[in-house]
Amino acid sequence: MLGYVIRRVFQSIVVLLIVGLVAFSMFRFVGDPIDNLLGQERTLEDIERLRTQLGLDEPFLVQYWNFLERAVQGDLGISYRQSRPVAEILLERAPATLELAAVSGLFAIVFGIILGIFTAIRRDGWASSVIMTVSLIGVSLPTFLIGILLIYVFAVELGWLPSFGRGEVVDLGGWTTGFLTASGLKALILPAITLGLYQMTLIMRLVRSEMLEVLRQDYIRFARARGLRDKAVNFRHALKNTLVPVITVTGLQLGSIIAFAIITETVFQWPGVGLLFINAIQFVDIPVMAAYLMLISVLFVGINLVVDLLYFAIDPRLRDERSAAGGN
Amino acid sequence: MTDLPQEPTPLVADERARSRLAMAWDSDVAYSFRRSPVALISTIVVLILVLSAILAPVIAPYDPFNPASLNLMNGFSKPMEPNAFTGDVFWLGTDDQGRDVFSTILYGMRVSLFVGFAAVGFAMTLGVTLGLIAGYVGGWVETIIMRVADVQLTFPAILVAMLIFGIAKGVTPVEYRDQMAIWVLILAIGLSDWVQFARVVRGATLVEKNKEYVQAARMIGRSSGAIMMRHILPNVLSPVLVIATISLALAIIAEATLSFLGVGAPPTQPSLGTLIRIGQGFLFSGEWWILFFPAVTLLALALSVNLLGDWLRDALNPRLR
Amino acid sequence: MLRRLTASAVAICAALPVMAEDFRWASTTDPQTMDPHAVNSAPVLGFLNNVYEGLVRRGRDMAVEPALATGWEAIGNGEGWRFTLRQGVKFHDGADFTAEDVLFSYERASSEEADTRSWFAPVSGVTVVDDFTVDIMTSAPNPIFPDSIANWMIMDSGWAEANDATRPDKEQGNYATLNANGTGAFKVTAREPGLRTELQPHEGWWDTVDHNITRAEFTPIQNPATAVAALLSGDIDMINPVPIQDAERLSGQPGVQVIQGIEARVIMLGFAQEADTLKYGESDGAANPFQDPAVRRAVAQAVNVPAILQTTMRGNAEAASQLVSPAMRGYSEPNAATIAYDPDAARAALAEAGYPEGFGFGLKCPNDRYLNDEAVCQAVTSMLSQVGLRPQLETMPVRGYWPRLREDDFDMYLLGWSPGTFDAEHPVRFLASTPNEEKKLGSWNFGGYSNARVDELLPMIQSEIDETKRQAMLDEVAAILQGETAYVPLYVQPLLWGARDNISLTQRPDNFFILRWVTVN
Repeated sequence: MLGYVIRRVFQSIVVLLIVGLVAFSMFRFVGDPIDNLLGQERTLEDIERLRTQLGLDEPFLVQYWNFLERAVQGDLGISYRQSRPVAEILLERAPATLELAAVSGLFAIVFGIILGIFTAIRRDGWASSVIMTVSLIGVSLPTFLIGILLIYVFAVELGWLPSFGRGEVVDLGGWTTGFLTASGLKALILPAITLGLYQMTLIMRLVRSEMLEVLRQDYIRFARARGLRDKAVNFRHALKNTLVPVITVTGLQLGSIIAFAIITETVFQWPGVGLLFINAIQFVDIPVMAAYLMLISVLFVGINLVVDLLYFAIDPRLRDERSAAGGN
Repeated sequence: MTDLPQEPTPLVADERARSRLAMAWDSDVAYSFRRSPVALISTIVVLILVLSAILAPVIAPYDPFNPASLNLMNGFSKPMEPNAFTGDVFWLGTDDQGRDVFSTILYGMRVSLFVGFAAVGFAMTLGVTLGLIAGYVGGWVETIIMRVADVQLTFPAILVAMLIFGIAKGVTPVEYRDQMAIWVLILAIGLSDWVQFARVVRGATLVEKNKEYVQAARMIGRSSGAIMMRHILPNVLSPVLVIATISLALAIIAEATLSFLGVGAPPTQPSLGTLIRIGQGFLFSGEWWILFFPAVTLLALALSVNLLGDWLRDALNPRLR
Repeated sequence: MLRRLTASAVAICAALPVMAEDFRWASTTDPQTMDPHAVNSAPVLGFLNNVYEGLVRRGRDMAVEPALATGWEAIGNGEGWRFTLRQGVKFHDGADFTAEDVLFSYERASSEEADTRSWFAPVSGVTVVDDFTVDIMTSAPNPIFPDSIANWMIMDSGWAEANDATRPDKEQGNYATLNANGTGAFKVTAREPGLRTELQPHEGWWDTVDHNITRAEFTPIQNPATAVAALLSGDIDMINPVPIQDAERLSGQPGVQVIQGIEARVIMLGFAQEADTLKYGESDGAANPFQDPAVRRAVAQAVNVPAILQTTMRGNAEAASQLVSPAMRGYSEPNAATIAYDPDAARAALAEAGYPEGFGFGLKCPNDRYLNDEAVCQAVTSMLSQVGLRPQLETMPVRGYWPRLREDDFDMYLLGWSPGTFDAEHPVRFLASTPNEEKKLGSWNFGGYSNARVDELLPMIQSEIDETKRQAMLDEVAAILQGETAYVPLYVQPLLWGARDNISLTQRPDNFFILRWVTVN
């Protein structure tokens, strides 16, 4: 067990190092940060000087090494754009993204499970077909368009919900939350739906197929035969067995929600790390891009690691088959 | 991961959908198809769209990709109404460049479908190959492949697209740069999509390889390559097919998203996604047709493909029938 | 430690209830720093004009008027300028404004670390005569010097020293990056970079208060559609810019007004003139036709500027004849005629120049820098195709655009130029002079246009005190540039602001948003 854990942790670190390497090799293709830092009256000499100052004239391997050297000491560098420590900026932005991710995850789970059960039980009903088809519309249009259409309908035409931002937030010792004010809660609705729509469809379909599967199992048939009422069969027995894969998948998807909130945050001007990343690309803010990518890969690698270790802990023989078990 | 190609893995009861593809196709699936109106309608819609995309040069009244044929004064013509300056009438109106929206959709769909099919084909080939190898060979080869997959998952497709774009700019001869953007999109979407194929195939391979028939094949001295190709591959194909279908829809949408982020098809040869990106700028200005028609086309295409995927998943899973 | 304190103070302010004279406005870019000397860019200087003040400032019509100086006069025969300072002016933290602050701000703004250094290139020294008199000496007579320092903002020397910010620090940042202490009408009360900045009136301001704002909040909103939605739904009181296509419809919506003007920025096409071969020619080493002024002129004739103004700019822009707009000082009246759209003449000229079949080349264009830049370049591409040329259009975000231009990776390109000094000399120095790194000339002349007479005239224009002679030389330069079609000026970019209709405000041609001219009704 210990050997496996050590090996797995070691692999994860290697993965992180490679992510960093790839990231640093691609930054120069994103653009040149210099032009954003100098004004209209800059000379070519100014450009060269600033380039040397920022260490951009170094080969990317050297830049990467310098980044790593500082990163292991807990220093993620200083944003070109904002002239302040990247770690500070990330901490400031994280609550917005995490709250959005949590709410959209919750939205996806609650509606996904309810609709999934419904469509499984009424498998051949017309309502189920409608739900199944309509839910696909949500994943058949690009997210940015869904977001803009939601803004158009609910903020501009109906005026019910705010068009952008987080509303009023309350600071709880470094963690800003939108949960405690009415405007903060209202501001969450549209972005959460936009971000959670895909996951909801995903979970709904998963629950439906698991339910159909379970409902055909012998013990359910047996329960029915024993005369248990449909509701009891559906909920007590079938749903319980459905939830294990649903929870696994949802856990894995949470990482994706956080990592890919980029579009939603851009459309809604949501002040989270995704928007920060898009801005960093716009201004070629290399320290911010590097830190963000490392953070996201820590997240992915971490979740993968935990899942692997859990499978290992439950049954070492199963660990190779975890992918086959419906997860990532 | 709402935005870019996604793992539909959980949708699929993958390892369970191990019905013999060939057998099922002949009987059950075909039967199920005939009985499913949704599948029938979806197929018809997809066929119509694909055909009209292929036949665009024949059907389309204009060639929007030829800049010399455009008249800027035709810009913003309303559908079915003569233009105020030129008097020309366009069925679905024109966009900001005076391009006929109907023709542009047809040509744009060619670009989108080409990007979609090529990206999925690329992702599928890469993913299935790596998945087979990882599952069958195991050991450190498997470790490397699966960790590379982890690295891949970390990178948003936009960054991959930018990276490839930068490199491609350096190595493409000047005269091919026009088409370069399309290939960059294919590579970028394909690269961010192969992981799910690899994972599913690896999982299925792990199950398959311990079965008697594989053991037997090994015993009679078949080479690993032959066993993978002849025995294991056919048995893991049905989940791959389902993923490929859904990936196609996702790839077409992903291309639109990349365009929104500024890494899309060139504006002179717009894809469906680029048209939507351009059109969303006119949502508040009253020129609804520039957004509406391309969006409806994309919706029809992606929805039909998704519905087909849905049906295919159920049809290939014998225990759901 | 200090930073962390600021951050949490900021968050608490955010929870304050909304008040009646709250004013919220949005733009696409966040000012990246609160330091007026660190970055010489329009979003920063425009924003900080509300917080800091210079010796002089620009009024509603762009004319220079007294601010922290009550008057100024030339010393001797143009050896320098003497400024008389305003008395009784207080900084936001209560400190008094004196001549020491002017000297300090000169040293700070002209230091090696400052991005505003180039403004002070003509200055040879600054002397404090007494507490309220300052002499600024120039190495040569400089008639437009007071005009050129309207954005030079004065910082309190004591505050900067106490907070260890005596020099701007662009890379690491310092106290002045996040905090501000000016003499202006508004003080920064909260700052969350990239998210929001809150301003409140400066109680002890020296000038008459025209506005009725009690609290103002700035939010950058990147996606234009989101900004328009925010204005329509009333979540925001003012946005800049309004996407061109939305202007007409927005102004018809209840509750919303569109304020429209002509900006200082001229949009033009530039050519690779120095290169002997085309970068994107149809064969390797194809000769560069753009070296021939006749070909450049044919390009100008082939572009249907009126159609672009009509369709792409929706009637919101004006055609340009030269590198500056008519509102600029030194605009050349004799050269105000634009080249007429004449595709047949263009075709004939190309044939005569030896290109009856046209030729292929690369056109580079930004897609997030100027209003509708990508659409304009597409239109130009089809117009040039119609006279038989075969442009290969490539559009890209501006972050990759300037590096490409610096690497000479283009045959033709799109450029917008807004003269920082509001004077016609500015584009001559940056766009038309032969590039010369040592003399800091032609640093934006990517194509390498070169004309000996223009190079000769520039220093004479710079030191000529007589307005008539100066104008005559500017006219000569404009005529040369037009005659050789050094650039193809297309149009002057419009200014489009959107506001709720209970807001009255003044739009200044430099696109600076001046909060003290805003009234919420």
